[in-house]
Amino acid sequence: MSRTLTIEPVTRIEGHARITLQLGDGGEVEDAKFHLTQFRGFEKFCEGRPYREMPALTARTCGICPVSHLLASNKACDHLLSVSIPPTGEKLRRIMNLAQLVQSHALSFFHLSSPDLLLGWDADPASRNIFGVMRQEPALAKDGIRLRQIGQTIIEMLGGKKIHPTWVVPGGVNEPLSQEKRDAMLKLLPEGLEIAKRTYAFFKTLVPKFLDEANHFGNQPTMFLSLVTPKGDLEHYDGLFRLKDAQGRILEDMVPPEDYERLIGEAVEDFSYMKFPYYKPHGYPQGIYRVGPLARLNNANTCGTPYADVALAEFHMLQESGPIASSFHYHYARLVEIIFGLEMMERLLKDPAILDSRVRARARSNRSEGIGVSEAPRGTLLHHYRIDDDGLITWVNLVIATGHNNLAMNQAIRQVADAYVDGNDLREGMLNRVEAVIRCFDPCLSCASHAVGQMPLRIELLDPAGRLIDTLNRD
Amino acid sequence: MKTLIIGYGSPIRGDDALGPLAADRLENAELPDHVAVISRHILTAELVADLMEADRVIFLDAAVDVKPGVVSCRRLEPDATAVSTMAHFLDPRELLAWCQSLYDHTPESYLISAGVASLDYASYQLTPIAESALEQMLAAVGRLINEPTDALPG
Repeated sequence: MSRTLTIEPVTRIEGHARITLQLGDGGEVEDAKFHLTQFRGFEKFCEGRPYREMPALTARTCGICPVSHLLASNKACDHLLSVSIPPTGEKLRRIMNLAQLVQSHALSFFHLSSPDLLLGWDADPASRNIFGVMRQEPALAKDGIRLRQIGQTIIEMLGGKKIHPTWVVPGGVNEPLSQEKRDAMLKLLPEGLEIAKRTYAFFKTLVPKFLDEANHFGNQPTMFLSLVTPKGDLEHYDGLFRLKDAQGRILEDMVPPEDYERLIGEAVEDFSYMKFPYYKPHGYPQGIYRVGPLARLNNANTCGTPYADVALAEFHMLQESGPIASSFHYHYARLVEIIFGLEMMERLLKDPAILDSRVRARARSNRSEGIGVSEAPRGTLLHHYRIDDDGLITWVNLVIATGHNNLAMNQAIRQVADAYVDGNDLREGMLNRVEAVIRCFDPCLSCASHAVGQMPLRIELLDPAGRLIDTLNRD
Repeated sequence: MKTLIIGYGSPIRGDDALGPLAADRLENAELPDHVAVISRHILTAELVADLMEADRVIFLDAAVDVKPGVVSCRRLEPDATAVSTMAHFLDPRELLAWCQSLYDHTPESYLISAGVASLDYASYQLTPIAESALEQMLAAVGRLINEPTDALPG
């Protein structure tokens, strides 16, 4: 008899989700689905609001990556104003974006994924958590907190003490950087870089222990989408789209973000509140691609900073050739990007022009449609607005980083379930691996939902008719 | 006694903003030098580093499990099982447990909360009953800061 297994809520991710595994008569996995079960509706309730409210409104989409929404939204508003923001304003925005990248990646690695990596997939779930990590590797846990604190401190120095800063505004930023703050930020970075380097060195020693997971955690072929600089290097704030296929061939390059609708279609399914973006020329669902740190490093020619470029070269050695396929290596890519973020912030802050007082272009709305794209920690983030003659929002489309990965996450849990789940002998470690592959993507479901939610893990067993036979819950 | 006040909640969901609004009011008030104020949307991991340096912490939050406008003040103890299902934000008791586990330190901790009447999205206004509760929350903070600890709620 076929059964359905449900994992709900999926733990150690942001938001609320459920995984269902449909098992066949022999206990083999016949189907696997990742369900986003929370609904929020930002795209609808923003309609009718003044466009200048959009950065503050959409930043509340998420408590963990508000800066990403703040930047993408302000970039869409820059587009509405038809202004080019002053170079120093752009550099300051870049620093804030990188500070958030560092703190977000630190949370993902040190606090959400380290219990699996350090304590083992099959460890007792009662101790396979952050407290277990604190007991076994207290220095690493403290490093994670310190790295987050450094990122957060820089964000606060730039944007004020609130987690949803209003310092970034349409046209630039609303206050230049003082020398005192610049010096204070520069003082923090060497410590952060030391933490990042030693964590990276430590993680490299762990990677060989996870060859089996690396071979089964979402390594099926997909394309990779990200922004790159005009030279094809690593980019997080601006730039142009690059899309590579699984063999490393560039399918799309130097595509302006305003042309995203030519590249990206969005499908919906009745089992999830998350959209399913796909590469339009290949159709749905064949147009599967991944975004985020793995895609960015696969697409970039170089990082452009010294230590990160060494790490990038080592990253490419994880596989004989071609783009790194395994989603397990999102963890590796995050650590490389933390190093890059810290190095690049130092470079930007040491630029004498960073203290320039011209940081904002002022204008009224000069077009009716605006598109803003940046790279959030989890991948490409796109805000698209239409406004009326009074500057009120008439239509919103948000394409969220986690959403881009939706098809790939569904594919990945199927692969992991095929490899590890035996419906006749169900064990917790199997289910944890199914969850863990989702954590590789570090999904932010609060952002990706088109609506309000909560995220525990449940695995449900369904019979061939789709009737619920058994459920495993984890609160 | 080094005191840290942390107000948290969403500023765009009506009365959920009670915590950060109370923190903002306190930050603009004349507080003793030993009192610091943080305003946050949610509680996140790096706050453990701030807790580590504090002798006393006062959390300010909105509550949905009491009647609108009802203000309460209670002691908090570390609780490693008070784990939020949303991985990116933390329960204050879990934060305290992190602090105890990593730094062998637990600041004397209180939660001052007030019942909410509305949590509507895209609402920047407190309801009148929450406005009134905000004043009571500030008064409760004042009592905690100014009174000897043995007179405080246990």
